[in-house]
Amino acid sequence: MNRRLAQLTLWLYPMAFRRRYGEELRALLEDAPPRMLAVLDLLRGAILAHLRPTAAGGTLVDPSDRLRASASGQLACWVAFAAAGFGFYKTTEDEPFAAAGHAHHLLGGTYLAVQGLAVLASAAVILGALPLILVALARARAEPRLRRLISLPPLAVLVFAGLTRVLLLLAHPEPADHTSTVGGIAFIIWSVAGLVCGAVCVVAARAALFAVAVPRWRLLAAYACGTLVTVAMAAITLAAMLYAIALFADASSLAASGNGPFQLVSVGVSLIVQLVVMALTATLAATSTRRGWRAVTLD
Amino acid sequence: MCYYYVMRSIGERSTDPALLVLTSLAEGPKHGYAITVDVEHLSGVRLGPGTLYGALSRLESRGLIEALPTEDRRRPYRLTSTGSAALAQELKTLERVARSGLDRLRVAQATP
Repeated sequence: MNRRLAQLTLWLYPMAFRRRYGEELRALLEDAPPRMLAVLDLLRGAILAHLRPTAAGGTLVDPSDRLRASASGQLACWVAFAAAGFGFYKTTEDEPFAAAGHAHHLLGGTYLAVQGLAVLASAAVILGALPLILVALARARAEPRLRRLISLPPLAVLVFAGLTRVLLLLAHPEPADHTSTVGGIAFIIWSVAGLVCGAVCVVAARAALFAVAVPRWRLLAAYACGTLVTVAMAAITLAAMLYAIALFADASSLAASGNGPFQLVSVGVSLIVQLVVMALTATLAATSTRRGWRAVTLD
Repeated sequence: MCYYYVMRSIGERSTDPALLVLTSLAEGPKHGYAITVDVEHLSGVRLGPGTLYGALSRLESRGLIEALPTEDRRRPYRLTSTGSAALAQELKTLERVARSGLDRLRVAQATP
């Protein structure tokens, strides 16, 4: 059990580190079966390897693979960021929030900025991904493995859409009422399914990107779009933060009102959690972008 | 409070994974598992796999150790000449501190 967990933890290390030391680490885990402490030590090592990458092994990664890793890292961060962003939207979509936005300029302005930047970032994601998707589709005819990989994301989205429909029917006649038991449970199942769907899309997209030969300019274009998305993520986080501050200052009764399934937490707490996720994923995206830049300048 | 930090820094220095790995390799080339066993025998410290390979990657990137050809998925490492010099310097410093500390303790205990 621990050995399996340790092997999985190895995947959390940066690609350069895995390529340089991965096989040796696997051999070490075979020689000395790991205990739980060793698994935690590996986890700590993986975090440190991301925070303080060493020069050893860095040159072993092909610049194109580095760009692939950066672009897929940016996509993964965007998906997690979008989940938090959707939470932000659901938290602040009701009429009282719109009224408060009209009454207070900072609230209205930052809300509008979040929406505008989200549209811009989504467009950049599509613009960056489209040329890569076209290449993958063209190659998929000849490669069954690639065909399976690129069919996974649409399949996951279809399953998610089907589940959404079923949950909406179950939660009828008040599908938007998260305070009812059925509505609350349906919302939790839906949220978890959404996260799983996002994870499947990210993992399959990353595997497909590494499995297909892509012209360098397309990778650079995807990386440039990813960089734009990263900047948008940072700007959205800032705007959402200002929105939250303005809400606490100008509409404290709204910030204190109940939110989420079964009204377990307040709007204020929900916003803080969403902001933490946004800030974390924006930071990770910035780290991934910085590493991709190294590949661009090295080549 | 000051005592705590001084003792902790001494403790950290003598159990620093990088120093322990260099000391282990002073005997000759070793691969990951052999280093772990030797360090545990040497100091009582069991290096976790993440800590060990974190130290190995840092030492390799600084040119203090170098990798030898892989033997059955296990890659031995050996000290470089820079690594040997750095280890000798560090151990001499530790030896000087230890000797001075022991001398001072002896004098203090002999004084009524």
